Amino acid sequence: MAIIEINGLSKTYSVYHKREGIAASIRGLFHRQYRSVHAVRQIDLQVDEGEFVAFLGPNGAGKTTTLKLLSGVIHPTEGTASVMGYVPWQRQTGYRRQFALVMGQKNQLWWDLPAQESFRLHQQIYQIERAAFEKTLDELVELLNLQGLLGQPVRELSLGERMKMELVAALLHSPKVLFLDEPTIGLDVVAQHNVQGFLRHYQQQRNITIMLTSHYMKDVVALCRRVVIITEGRIMYDGSLSGIIDQFGGHKLLTLQFSDEAPVDLKNFGKLVEVQSPRAKLRVDRSSVANVLGQILSKYNLVDVSVEEPPLEEVIAEVFASVNGMHEAELNKQQVLRNAGD
Amino acid sequence: MSESPPSYTRVLAVLARNSFVRDMNFRGNFLIEVITAMFWMTMMVSFYLLIFQFANEIGEDTGWTKYRFFIFLATTMIINGLMQAFVLPNAAEFSELIRLGNLDFALVKPIDTQFLISFQRVNWSGYANIGCGIALMIYSLIHLSHVPSWLEMSLFVVYVTCGLGILYSLVICLASTSVWMGRNQSLYNFWFYITTFSRYPMEIYRGPLGDPLRLIFTFMIPIMIAINVPAQVMAKGLGEAESKLAVFGLFATMACLAISRWIFGLAISAYRSASS
Repeated sequence: MAIIEINGLSKTYSVYHKREGIAASIRGLFHRQYRSVHAVRQIDLQVDEGEFVAFLGPNGAGKTTTLKLLSGVIHPTEGTASVMGYVPWQRQTGYRRQFALVMGQKNQLWWDLPAQESFRLHQQIYQIERAAFEKTLDELVELLNLQGLLGQPVRELSLGERMKMELVAALLHSPKVLFLDEPTIGLDVVAQHNVQGFLRHYQQQRNITIMLTSHYMKDVVALCRRVVIITEGRIMYDGSLSGIIDQFGGHKLLTLQFSDEAPVDLKNFGKLVEVQSPRAKLRVDRSSVANVLGQILSKYNLVDVSVEEPPLEEVIAEVFASVNGMHEAELNKQQVLRNAGD
Repeated sequence: MSESPPSYTRVLAVLARNSFVRDMNFRGNFLIEVITAMFWMTMMVSFYLLIFQFANEIGEDTGWTKYRFFIFLATTMIINGLMQAFVLPNAAEFSELIRLGNLDFALVKPIDTQFLISFQRVNWSGYANIGCGIALMIYSLIHLSHVPSWLEMSLFVVYVTCGLGILYSLVICLASTSVWMGRNQSLYNFWFYITTFSRYPMEIYRGPLGDPLRLIFTFMIPIMIAINVPAQVMAKGLGEAESKLAVFGLFATMACLAISRWIFGLAISAYRSASS
């Protein structure tokens, strides 16, 4: 059953278009030019209870804006959304009691105080009974290995410890839906791994619904079965991780181990990725793998051969790059048209 | 987790406690703020002592003689102290929360956002002003040989609360404009200008310049009521004219609070949050 339902959700910002220089700044005092930024465009999405969904996309793609819309922090320009039966931007107390928002780049704990003081405030705001509060806090502290740090001012904690404390604050009231916006940003590998392990364990144990945005593919691979790729405010893909390669990975990687030196004319068969003679790696169109392999086998002596899918990160980077390329091409086209008009 | 709404008193108590713990972390800063408040009071009293060497009252036939005026001054200090303790740091922070996009966390909490924003921080050093104001009031009442009745004291508390309500409304409206303006750093300046006007008895606003000012700042932006009515209650008691003003003060407070609530709501609806 869908716990989150989004239909035709859009968010457009009007942004002041500031020009360079002092004269332009003075002109801007009297006459300002604004442009519309379509952060989210006509998004449709359904998320079932207990799903762990990743939102992937380049900077400015609309991931965080979508999470903010679903948290009720901002109002949409058009469209509808329902989370647990509530309209998020109506900000009903019943809704706000049942979800949590964690933002890797923002801090909700009191900076100069130990985290436990902020937790007590949360206890009062969320009306958590004392026994339940103590039990949940103990569990979370143990799972996140935070013993001995509760009494330390937040400003004296490491970034990783601080993020763990933010997670504790977000989970004290046992939310049914959790929105995570880049929770591992800036963390070292060990801290990232710890946070990932905790989130996986907590989600499986409680069966809560989580929507995660992250730039780290490792987060996504470790945690989510379902991935939503969003670029320029539009959903480009919604499905499994492996499905991304099927849909967007237009090539495969052939690793060829020759009995003698790697031949010099390999580039005729595809794009040469790497040569460490007698081994060579070739990038070949998915549709012509069998044909290329047949030609190479008939022409050269091979000791070993393997056919691999391209790395997921590479495929996603290509998807983002192609969108950026289209965007730049569109901007260039508009510029050319403007120049022609002038 | 209980389904009942949070106890606002308990939340306020935790916020005040957390603020106290934080203030005590920086005791040097706290002490300097307390000393500054006491220095300010000493300066104010000394300045008016100097004036009363050459005048018997503030304004001709206004009835604001030396110790009555010191009661007015004490009321100003008490209201200023309460504003500095509760309202001003939060309003200034509200502006910054909007600018930096950190209002997000306040918006997702299951509690009235205006309440949380308005009382998030309690600046305990503001109590130094309140303490100084109370001391000056007692000193002045002793000199006037006036023991206020229970009714007068109750009315004083009611009208100090009304004054706070009016000033709070103005400050929160101004802070809310940060949503549309992107940045609003004029809050403390604005506060200074307002208190400059409301810091004197309204009887001195007479004549071609004074009358319009008195009317504007009584009926349009009712900041004169904030200090004048409670000070009148304690220093002179309420005559017929003052009673009418006091009744108007109650309605003005309610109207100001309602308008500020409306503007705050508009600001929250227009909030864009900063990109992360």
